[in-house]
Amino acid sequence: MTQLPTPGAVPAEPPPAELPPTRTARPRWRETLGLLARNPTAAVSALVLIAIVLVAVFDETLAPDGPNEQDQSRALQAPSWGHPFGTDELSRDILSRVLLGAATSLRVGFLSVAFALVVGTLIGLLAGYYGRWVDDVLMRVMDMLFAFPAVLLAIAIVAVRGAGPTNAILAIGIVYVPIFARVTRASVLGVREEVYVRASRSVGASDLRLITRHVLPNAAPPIIVQTSISLAFAVLAEAALSFLGLGPQRPNPSWGLMLADSRGFIDQAWWYSVFPGLAIVLTVLCFNLLGDGLRDVLDPRQRTLMAGGGR
Amino acid sequence: MTDDVLLSARGLEVHFPIRSGGVFRRSSGAVRAVDGVDLDIRRGETLGLVGESGCGKSTLGNALLRLVEPTGGTVTFDGIDVTALGRRELRELRRRAGMVFQDPFASLDPRRTVAQTVSEPLEVHGLHGDRRERAARVSELLELVGLDPAVADRYPHEFSGGQRQRVGIARALAGEPDFLVCDEAIASLDVSVQAQVLNLLRRLQRRLGLTLLFISHDLSAVRHVADRIAVMYLGRVVEIGPAAAVGGDPQMPYTQALLSAVPVPHPELERSRKRTVLRGDVPSPAAVPTGCRFRTRCPSAFEPCPDVDPALQPVGQVDGHLAACHLHGVVGTPVAREDDAPEGPTPADAARAPRRAGRAH
Repeated sequence: MTQLPTPGAVPAEPPPAELPPTRTARPRWRETLGLLARNPTAAVSALVLIAIVLVAVFDETLAPDGPNEQDQSRALQAPSWGHPFGTDELSRDILSRVLLGAATSLRVGFLSVAFALVVGTLIGLLAGYYGRWVDDVLMRVMDMLFAFPAVLLAIAIVAVRGAGPTNAILAIGIVYVPIFARVTRASVLGVREEVYVRASRSVGASDLRLITRHVLPNAAPPIIVQTSISLAFAVLAEAALSFLGLGPQRPNPSWGLMLADSRGFIDQAWWYSVFPGLAIVLTVLCFNLLGDGLRDVLDPRQRTLMAGGGR
Repeated sequence: MTDDVLLSARGLEVHFPIRSGGVFRRSSGAVRAVDGVDLDIRRGETLGLVGESGCGKSTLGNALLRLVEPTGGTVTFDGIDVTALGRRELRELRRRAGMVFQDPFASLDPRRTVAQTVSEPLEVHGLHGDRRERAARVSELLELVGLDPAVADRYPHEFSGGQRQRVGIARALAGEPDFLVCDEAIASLDVSVQAQVLNLLRRLQRRLGLTLLFISHDLSAVRHVADRIAVMYLGRVVEIGPAAAVGGDPQMPYTQALLSAVPVPHPELERSRKRTVLRGDVPSPAAVPTGCRFRTRCPSAFEPCPDVDPALQPVGQVDGHLAACHLHGVVGTPVAREDDAPEGPTPADAARAPRRAGRAH
């Protein structure tokens, strides 16, 4: 601080306003999409995932055959022009069943992650924002859930509540709640201390307003990344539960179920297990790569939770 | 005289407990960030609050508005006991008393446009009813702080530090407050921009009849804007008075040292300037020295300093100039010495503790 104008020299008129910035305003999400488009891996993953979602939505139109159409004359046929992915032991078209299974797998994946996202984010917000005993109680409960191996916990939940797609969604959802709670809490703990949160409080904003308008939007990037990566694991978990017969029930197609059924024929019909398996690999891989890309764009510093845990 | 006091603090304390970790948290002492502050701010004046980093001046500013909860003492704002307010009244207080923050790069939400930020107080307090009226008010506020209303839809990252600070000021003014705490509001700006923002604040104060608490570590800036100056050291106000008196004729060795650190913009005077360089660091606010808290670094410390906690007393030639220093007569509360009462001092002990001369240092 060197020289200031003396008090007498205060101009009566406002000082010349600094030049207004030249860049036009652009919403944050468009900037994010632009950055994502420049990351080829993430962009391709996103496109593939969009394709998979479209397949799941329009499965009945796309599938050459119905899910359970049978023709005993063509059981366990190798891939051909008529049946590009071959047929299974009940002579159903595997291509059709993989396409139709996409809907089941994605529905279970999306709904379970949506459940975990909503519940986990809420818990993490409350724990991180209010701290003290709220934090202690909520996070200890999360720790207890976290202590179980993921699939084991899901199996236990399904075993108690009974097999079926709804319970599979619930089970996978519950398993992922602690992850979202932790990611959200960690992010909120940082944002909560930001000066702009205190600034909003200084003009009288309520806790609810602070949480919804300031804390959550600024704490969101790691949560978005976690959502993408969790979708990958949820699809995998759905496959695992179906494989064990705890998810969607036969005869409806599901990738995990198809893998389970193909086990007995693995030496006779490689196509039976390979194509549902490839579908799982492709979906999981794309969600993971998209998550990595989102993280690079949104949140380059946070790497620990998603990279580490095998959930 | 009391009628023109807008805000007053009595015995204000903010102690942060130090917790030792583990499952069974124990409180092991406290950081005494603000430790018994008495302060009156008069309607329409600018009170400068100066002191080194960590002396508690920001905490004091935050505690006055209850952005940090005081652990003791009272704050009265326009006759209202701030420390006893419920949620609803607290919100009304925050309309009437605003804050401008130090770092304009941190005090604006990066995900909200200038218009959203500035209109937040309007929405919170239900002022200027509908959207269009609020937009008009936002334009008015932006113009008031010297910004082009056309920038309302932009995001903070598109602005320079000075422009952001203007946005922060517009937000603080939106609820038409009577009182503004400027917490190091110019410290992180370029020198040329500092003068602009300082002038803006002065102009706004005159135009809107604001009362300002101007917190700064920069005594020379404060001397230019403040009517009165309060000097803080380790959680206490150690000298207070009219700006000319505190800035021109300081009576407390700490203020003298602070002032001697300000460069004089005249080469010859600068060369002949006497400098008092303080030895050592500020003691930790978790372990405040007994008696006068400045004694460990004071060049003129003498016998009563460790034993009597000095109270503010009239000093110098000017009315209303107070300092807490025994050089002007030993006034204050005797200290209970720990070696007299090994079990720890009780209030009764403190009252009859013997004053011991010659045991200083």
